[in-house]
Amino acid sequence: MAWKNIGINLSGIVISCTLIAFLIFVVLPSFYLISYIFLRWDEVWYEVFANPITGDENWRQIIRILLFSFKLSLSAVAFDLVFGVPLAYVLARKKFPGKNLLEDLVTLPLVIPTSGFGFATLITWTSSSGLGRLFGSTRLLSMNTAIPLINVPFILFIVHVALTFPYLVRTVETKIQSIEETYEIASRTLGASSLTTFRKVLLPLSIPGIFSGSVLAFARSLGETGATIIVSGVSTTASIAIVRWASEFKLSTAAFMGSLLVLIAWIMILPVEIYVSKNRRSSWRHLHIPTNLSMKIIKFERFLSRKLSIVKDTVPLIIVVILIIIPVVVVISSVTLYWSADPYTGRVEGGVVYQLFGPSRYLDLILRATLTSVIVASISTYIATCISIPLSFIIERRRYGHILRTMLKVPLIIPTSSLGLSVLLLWGSSGLCLVNSGIWMIILTHIVFSVPVIVESIIAAYEGSGMQMYEETARTLGANAYSAIEAVSLPLIKGGIFTGFILSFTHSLGETGATLIVMGRDTTIPVLVVNMVEALAIPAALFTSTYLIVLSLVMLVIIRILTQR
Amino acid sequence: MPLVELVNVTKRFGKITALNRINLSVEDGEYLCILGPTGAGKTTLLRLIAGLLEPDEGEIYIEGRKVNKVPPEERNAAYMFQNYALFPHMNVWRNVSFGPIIKEWNQKRINDVTSEVLEMVRLGERKNAYPHELSGGMQQRVALARGIASGARILLLDEPFGALDARLRVNLRTQLKSLVKDQRLTAIHVTHDQEEALMVSDRIAILREGRIEQIGSPQEIYTNPKSIFTISFVGGANFFEGVVSRVNEFGSEIELRGGLRIHVSDRSRNVGERVVVAVRREHISLGKSRRRGFNNLLGEIEDVMFVGGSMEYMIKLENDMTLFSRILLKGSSTPLRRGEIVIISFHPRECRIFEYPRRGLLKEIEAI
Repeated sequence: MAWKNIGINLSGIVISCTLIAFLIFVVLPSFYLISYIFLRWDEVWYEVFANPITGDENWRQIIRILLFSFKLSLSAVAFDLVFGVPLAYVLARKKFPGKNLLEDLVTLPLVIPTSGFGFATLITWTSSSGLGRLFGSTRLLSMNTAIPLINVPFILFIVHVALTFPYLVRTVETKIQSIEETYEIASRTLGASSLTTFRKVLLPLSIPGIFSGSVLAFARSLGETGATIIVSGVSTTASIAIVRWASEFKLSTAAFMGSLLVLIAWIMILPVEIYVSKNRRSSWRHLHIPTNLSMKIIKFERFLSRKLSIVKDTVPLIIVVILIIIPVVVVISSVTLYWSADPYTGRVEGGVVYQLFGPSRYLDLILRATLTSVIVASISTYIATCISIPLSFIIERRRYGHILRTMLKVPLIIPTSSLGLSVLLLWGSSGLCLVNSGIWMIILTHIVFSVPVIVESIIAAYEGSGMQMYEETARTLGANAYSAIEAVSLPLIKGGIFTGFILSFTHSLGETGATLIVMGRDTTIPVLVVNMVEALAIPAALFTSTYLIVLSLVMLVIIRILTQR
Repeated sequence: MPLVELVNVTKRFGKITALNRINLSVEDGEYLCILGPTGAGKTTLLRLIAGLLEPDEGEIYIEGRKVNKVPPEERNAAYMFQNYALFPHMNVWRNVSFGPIIKEWNQKRINDVTSEVLEMVRLGERKNAYPHELSGGMQQRVALARGIASGARILLLDEPFGALDARLRVNLRTQLKSLVKDQRLTAIHVTHDQEEALMVSDRIAILREGRIEQIGSPQEIYTNPKSIFTISFVGGANFFEGVVSRVNEFGSEIELRGGLRIHVSDRSRNVGERVVVAVRREHISLGKSRRRGFNNLLGEIEDVMFVGGSMEYMIKLENDMTLFSRILLKGSSTPLRRGEIVIISFHPRECRIFEYPRRGLLKEIEAI
């Protein structure tokens, strides 16, 4: 251990302070949420199962909503898998002009405030200024047009696909990059076509990445609130239900649903975590396919490899364009369309300018929300960074580090509305009664998910840096443990810290689900979009969405510059 | 008809020309080594033959068929990496039977071929082991078996001994060669280790900065190197810079720095030409008296190195030039000591004479 020489006191203090902060700020809320339903089981029982008026109607509603949420998330992940894995392969292995741009586009939904993106998608598909304009009809789809067979609203489905796509693609891409290309080359020179190579060599080796990517995507879809609340129409997903119940002060029902989601997230991630960590070296053993069948498959793959390589490369591309680029373009073009007046009725009241500067004074709201958002993002990211830097070192250097790292996954996978609820319950009037709903509680909430984001980014930089070697060299050159960290380790992971900072800042700017629950009277920009849509102030919402999207594009450029070094 | 033939093949990566108008033909059953320093384009050449890269210019033929656009899986050329690239999720049996299964042979033939090849590399008993459970040497044998079982006629070996320790390396060289010969395979073996190349190959192609410098049997390359680069890369030598001062019926006389003169049998150079004379270390003998018919120079021993079986001496000449001499240790002889003054002798026939390189002598030998 590198810290031994500073004297046990200083390092002990640093470690325990970090751990205490970590436990209180990051871990405690979600545990409190679960303990809440045990502590107040009577209330939960009364509200959910045995209401004197409605009986167990709430329980039945929970089941219905959960089933719908699962159906939505599973179908979105299935779609991600079919198109995301080939795209991940192309991004990991091929070099082509515009690759960076494509990577950025895939990452965009990670950065973009989801309510803005949801609104953009909504406009694109259902309004007269969207794609409908191209086809001459007033609107392409109604909000509730369902996809046959799975019976999920189309808009909801594509929003969830777009928002979960990057999680799968980036995770699988990273995994494929870590697999040496020599395996594929060996397979090709032994006579396997590119598709056969993919199925027999690359796919089994990247199964852990595919699993964890799918779990991340699934969790993300299950917890998505910002965009969902805008496009959901009459359907209700689990996370929206929590927001609604929390706002109706049905806290026990919300907490019950929230803890169910947390439990489900845990049940899903644990086996995958164990599987992935156990099978670092080899992936799964062989499925037995009868020889005849396998020969047919090989022949078919050989045929496809020759004919269809272009299709494999271009279809995911088209999906990216449809799901991500078009909504962004549409929302920007709609702002210009609606700039001075509603283009269809010609009424000035329906224009962006009137709504911003007119009697409703949306501009003031936007400015105030921007201020709130920036304050929240700055303070929460700053505090989270202060916790994350020492925490990353502890994770890397202490034996119990991997336990901490697994605990850090919790805020990443539990639905944000559950997260917001847990913070509200813990710190708010029904718990410790220390903080009231409002900006400070938003900050507390954002710290919870900022810490894992920053830690992951620092660890990524740490593990690629050969840190131990450099630090040991510094020690043998006469640096004590503290100055070795200051002079060698911190500069080495500087890039990771910056990247984490920006990612977390961006995340905080765009967060909707948790903020909706804990915000009280303060409003952040993404929440403002939701409010505007609910108030049917479409031009103002258009303007704010564009503003958010442009903001996140700037962030994306910054991230790109930081990570390129 | 050659099995593999490259005609005027050029490959560029952006502005860098990795291979420049390469012409090379490999006969059926031949063991060819491609020898060159790092960055010479060896691996690029191998990848072009495997079909992992496409040439920018020129043609590649395998069994007489032009294969420029043919994908790797249809070339019957198995690529073997330094780290063997054994599929980590398959056991030995699965790895070796990969090719036969892919090539859609029937079940009986798959089993027969796989077990036969595994026996051949003496790994039949480890067929259920996973790659990470095997030693480096075993992994290499599995990789070899996998290539052979796939029915490949050509083995492309990319530094196949690079990951093994020195002793194992020497053992495996002979094994590899006899296996290739027994199976009547054609091997194209890339290496930067001249000793390895000299030992295993039927022919060696010296590759330098994307061009083939010389091609020939190991003996030919060693005894009749066509360039300063080749002689210094294969075996190494002492180099004298000088100017041809006289040419007569017995040979030429070269004037070195500091007025020293040496005689060379070669008469192909003109008087006044600037040249480099190369003499191999083992051709330089040390003694107390001058030898007749030899070049004799006076020098002082600066350093003595024992290189196992022979002694290597670093000698400083009167004109401050440094040379090396390697002398086989015999039972009776006592090694010379540092500081002793000796007479250095070498025969004019053992001197090879080269035109002075345009980029300077150092440039020719420092790339190594």
